[in-house]
Amino acid sequence: MDGIRVGDRVIGTQAPVIVGWDNIPKVEGGPVKRFIFTWFQPAMLVAFVLFWYYAPNSIAKASTGIGIGIGFRAVLLALEWVNPRYESWQLTWKELVTDLFFVGLGYTLINLASYYLGSDAMVEASLNHIGLDHLGWFTTLPLLVQAVLILFIFDFGQYWMHRAMHNWYPLWLPHAAHHYITQFNINKGAVGNPVELFLIGLGIGGLFDFLPRAFLLSGGIGIAISSYDHINVRFNSPRWWRFLFNTTEHHSVHHSQDYEATRSNFAGTFIFIDRMFGTCIDGEAEVLGMEGGRRMSIREQMTYPFAEGWKAIKGRLGSSGGWPSLGGGSQGMEHASHAEPISAQR
Amino acid sequence: MILPFIDWIWQVRGSLALAPGQSSDDAFDRLDPLFHQPGTSRDRSDDTLTFQKKNQAAQDKMSVFDSGVLRIEKDAAGPILRYHLTSRALLFCFLAPLLFLVLAQITIAVNDFYAPGTSAADKLAAAKAEAKQKEADEKLAKIPMNPIDIALGAPAPKKPQAAGKNDENEDKKKPTPTTAYVFAGIFAVLYIVGRILEDRLIRSLFQRRLLSS
Repeated sequence: MDGIRVGDRVIGTQAPVIVGWDNIPKVEGGPVKRFIFTWFQPAMLVAFVLFWYYAPNSIAKASTGIGIGIGFRAVLLALEWVNPRYESWQLTWKELVTDLFFVGLGYTLINLASYYLGSDAMVEASLNHIGLDHLGWFTTLPLLVQAVLILFIFDFGQYWMHRAMHNWYPLWLPHAAHHYITQFNINKGAVGNPVELFLIGLGIGGLFDFLPRAFLLSGGIGIAISSYDHINVRFNSPRWWRFLFNTTEHHSVHHSQDYEATRSNFAGTFIFIDRMFGTCIDGEAEVLGMEGGRRMSIREQMTYPFAEGWKAIKGRLGSSGGWPSLGGGSQGMEHASHAEPISAQR
Repeated sequence: MILPFIDWIWQVRGSLALAPGQSSDDAFDRLDPLFHQPGTSRDRSDDTLTFQKKNQAAQDKMSVFDSGVLRIEKDAAGPILRYHLTSRALLFCFLAPLLFLVLAQITIAVNDFYAPGTSAADKLAAAKAEAKQKEADEKLAKIPMNPIDIALGAPAPKKPQAAGKNDENEDKKKPTPTTAYVFAGIFAVLYIVGRILEDRLIRSLFQRRLLSS
C-alpha cells in the first residue's frame, strides 16, 4: 500500500486507513435520521450540562451519576443496532460477554484497587498534606469553568500517560492487550489488562473533587464526550465537535492495524490536545487490532503483560540489548521494527 | 463422554435431517466454507468432519465454538447430520457468576480490613478525622458562589452536615459488594440467553448452508 502523507509521516502503508474528514462515509437515510445522528451528540452534551448544573443537591449525587452513566450506555448500545458504523463490528453474544466481563472487573476489582491504592487514596493523602486552603481559589471560579478545567487536567495527564504507554516498553506491556480488540463496541473501552486500566485511571483530576457539583459536572461532560470513543455508530459529528473532541473516527485510527496510524490520537476526551502536540490524525479505520487482527482470549489478556514482560526481562539479562521494539511484545506487529526508540502510540 | 450429566453446560449437540439422497461429500462441501476461517483447522474423512479453532475472529459465524465433530449417519428416514460442539465461552459465562461472588467476598474482606478498629485509640483517630472533615466542609460552605453561577440560578452548595450525620457523603462511598452481586446476576442471565441463542443460531446456520444451492 502507498499510504497517505500526513506531515512527516506516511499513514496506511500496512493496513487501510481513511485520512481526511471529507473521505469518511456519512449517515445514510432520510432527513430525520440524518438530523438525529448529526445532533444527537451535541444535544446530549447540552442535556448533561444542564442537568448537572441545575439538579437540586438531593439529586446531584455520585450514585445518580453512576445510574445515568449506565442508562446512557444502554441507549448507545441500542443505537449500535439502529445505525452501525460497520457491519464487521456487529456485536455478538461472545463479544458482549467478553466486554461485560471487563466492565464488571472495572466496577468491582479495579474500583476496589483505585479506592484503596489508586487515585482516591493518593488524592486524599495529597489533600491532607497540602491542605484545602492552597486550592481554595479554584472553587471561586464559575462551576462550568471548574468542570472543564478538571476534565482538561485529567485528560492532559491521561494523554501523556497514554503516550508514555506507547513509548516505553514496560508501560506498553499492560496497554498492548487493549490494542488486540478487533472491533469497536460501546464497552470496548473497558477491555484490556486490569493493570493498564488501573494505570490509565490514575490522574490528578480528583485533586479538585472537593466541590462535588463541579466534579459531577465534569463527570457528566466527560461521559457525554468520551462515551463515543469505542462506539459502533455512524454519526455526522459537527465540524466543531470533531475539532475539539475525540470521536470514534479518531480512535479507530488509533486502533488500526497500521502501525504509524496507531501512533496518533492519544487523548481520551479532548482531541485538541493531540492537535497541540502534533499527534492528531483526522480519519477512520475499519480493520483494527494487532498481528493482523488476531483476537486475544480473556486468559491471554490477563496474562499477556506478565508473560511478555518475563520474556523481555530474560532477553535483557541474556544480552546487552534494550527492551524489545514497541508494538506488541515478542509476537508484535510485523512492522515493529519500524518503531522509533522514543516516540508515541496507544 | 467424561461428564455426561453436566457437559451440556459447555457442549452443544444436535442433529439435522439431510435431503433424501444427499451424500456426505455434498453435505460437507456445503458446510466447508464455515471452516475456512482464520485460526480454524479441520480434518475431513468420509462421514466425519472434526475442527479446532484458536483465536477465532469475532465475526467468525462459529466463533463461540472451539472444537467439534460433525458426523453423517444413515437413519431409517434418511441421512442425518449429527453435531457435537464444545464452547469455552459458554463454560466461562457459566462460571463468571461464581467469580463475581468471590469478588463480592473480597470486597467485604478488604473493607473489613481497612475498617477503623474499636480500640480507644482508633475511636480517637476516627473522631479526629470526622472533625477535620467537618472543618473542611465548613470552609467549603463559606466560599462564596461565583456571581455568574448566582446569576444563572445554580443551586447553592449544601450546608455541612451535623457531626454523626456524614454517612450520606456518597462521593467518598466505599466500594460495596452489591455491584459484584449485580454482575453475577447479569452473567447468569447472559449464560441462559447464550446457551439457548447459540444452540439455535448454529442449527439455523447449518440448515441454511445445507439447503443453499
